[in-house]
Amino acid sequence: MDKRHPSSFQQLEKLGEGTYATVFKGRNRQTGEFVALKEIHLDSEEGTPSTAIREISLMKELKHENIVSLHDVIHTENKLMLVFEYMDKDLKKYMDSQPLPPGYDSHGGRSRGAGGLPPDTIKSFMYQLLRGIAFCHDNRVLHRDLKPQNLLINTKGQLKLADFGLARAFGIPVNTFSNEVVTLWYRAPDVLLGSRTYNTSIDIWSAGCIMAEMYTGRPLFPGTTNEDQLQKIFRLMGTPSERSWPGISSFPEYRQGWQVYATQDLQILLPMIDQVGLSLLSGMLQLRPEMRISAEQALRHPWFAEIHQRYGGIQQQVVAQQMGQQGLNQQVMQQGPGPAGASYGTSMAQGAY
Amino acid sequence: MSILVNPLATVDQLSQSGSQLDGVPADLENSIRFAGARLTQAAGILLRLPQDIIAQAIVIFTRFFVGPEGGSLKEYGAKVRNPVALVSIIEAHTTQDISAGSLYLMAKLSSTPRSPRSVLNVYAYLDSFPSTFVDASEFDEEKDPESYYLTEGTYHAQRTLLLRTEALILRVLGFQTHVALPYTLCINYLQTLDVFSHPESQDLAKRAFAQLNTLLLSPQLVYLTHQPYALATASIYLAARELGVKLPDEEWWEVFDTDREELGFLVVAMRSMEGFAAEEKRKWGKRKVPLTVEEIEGELERRSLLNGRG
Repeated sequence: MDKRHPSSFQQLEKLGEGTYATVFKGRNRQTGEFVALKEIHLDSEEGTPSTAIREISLMKELKHENIVSLHDVIHTENKLMLVFEYMDKDLKKYMDSQPLPPGYDSHGGRSRGAGGLPPDTIKSFMYQLLRGIAFCHDNRVLHRDLKPQNLLINTKGQLKLADFGLARAFGIPVNTFSNEVVTLWYRAPDVLLGSRTYNTSIDIWSAGCIMAEMYTGRPLFPGTTNEDQLQKIFRLMGTPSERSWPGISSFPEYRQGWQVYATQDLQILLPMIDQVGLSLLSGMLQLRPEMRISAEQALRHPWFAEIHQRYGGIQQQVVAQQMGQQGLNQQVMQQGPGPAGASYGTSMAQGAY
Repeated sequence: MSILVNPLATVDQLSQSGSQLDGVPADLENSIRFAGARLTQAAGILLRLPQDIIAQAIVIFTRFFVGPEGGSLKEYGAKVRNPVALVSIIEAHTTQDISAGSLYLMAKLSSTPRSPRSVLNVYAYLDSFPSTFVDASEFDEEKDPESYYLTEGTYHAQRTLLLRTEALILRVLGFQTHVALPYTLCINYLQTLDVFSHPESQDLAKRAFAQLNTLLLSPQLVYLTHQPYALATASIYLAARELGVKLPDEEWWEVFDTDREELGFLVVAMRSMEGFAAEEKRKWGKRKVPLTVEEIEGELERRSLLNGRG
């Protein structure tokens, strides 16, 4: 901490701009290593943003291969710079850069980003996403803002959770939290209903939405307002009632006159998903938070059975090759299935679990 | 990392504070820390902050001054002792600033943030009392609002200072703002001990909480040396003794990971608080405990003169 000066890093192109920070690609002048520099301007009215303080204090503790690593914090008079490991792109951009599957063209009604990801990639990404979530939950941290833009992908096909600005630690008993969390599209129905006692299950809902989106290339529930978001969820999952969800009428946002929809079959919306995957997905997309599968349980789901054995080998190469085909990464192609992949595989097998 | 435990101060950190290295005698350091923690508690109450946020702020305030890398009372954190810190802070920070900074920071991270203006108004008000040990009745008396009015110019200067103090605290603590507290554990343990059927259980819980609040001001810095479960256990033990509530005959504290020795130490620490507070009040009388660099240097000079004559 504080051992480095901002000038230790050469600032390269801008990678993105958030509400309170700008992210640049950077290069460590000493080692030549690429990094992501998250620059936070200190507000003259409020001081250091609470999001930045939370993010730093949590990220210093959360060290895991599926969580983006915070290397350093540089604090100067008027700005705060977080130095993260460099990742090539986020899942949103990764999906947008997918080639359209055969049969889809620009006249197909679905424009850019229409292509979903190949099943093997989805399985690998879901496994890594759930491992990252399980690690957070194991350490009593809720991410609260999982969405494709916050999942970073590197050329090795690794997926890592990022942007812990909204994350917070939870205790016993769980305090009442703000319900202004999680981008609308990935927000759990209990949060949309005004719950302030939500728990780890809200991250699982987001993971379910992301899984469906990886198949179709489109967000599952692209709502425009809180009300519209609930409508879109109910249209697919069925409108809940006191009978299907005891206690629902006591939520602040509960309304008497909701349009009543019947539960739809997810298979119709996602014809490309296999039966085992569908069972995992419906475990995650349960309206009632207490019915949702936990990250730990999800990792043990039969859908991942094959990954436990061959994750490090084949899965990873599949993704690396795809990225290579897109001309993104010749380096990994040259490395081939050599030591990098192997060591990753070993560490997965012996990992935290 | 666990939400239920704290990083504890090491022996080194406790035996060498930045202040002691700068020649501030231990008894004066205790007085200043006590006054600073009380100030934080009072300001928190006036800001209508929940007690857990106030308690976290006091722990952060206390952590700030601990260890050779921590802030020195003599410098008041004007410069962090850590030589690699690149930012030199020109304004002298006072203990009061560190108190305000801790409270502002912990409120900001909670669901009950307070604006810099509210925080500064409250500290200006508390600063307008002529002595550190104010009788509760004095708070009821009408005060001339001009005695604590912050002009716009002063407010802006103080806000800049407050935000720099916040950054300083974060740097000294390495952004480690997590503070685990014993309050909820205390209730949990009382439930486990099945005392809530007892007619005096309400009083028992209140008394245990009062012990935990008082312990925040302990010169033995027990919130930095003992885990919340031990603090909760000891507070229940002493509260039950004081109220004559019967607890199980067995060594029930063992269930809450506290051995007899630790329990004994904490009970003694709690029971010594009354005498410590009375002695502080007697020692300082109507004077103010020095909280700024000038005041503390004045106090050191006064002491050396007294010693010279003696």
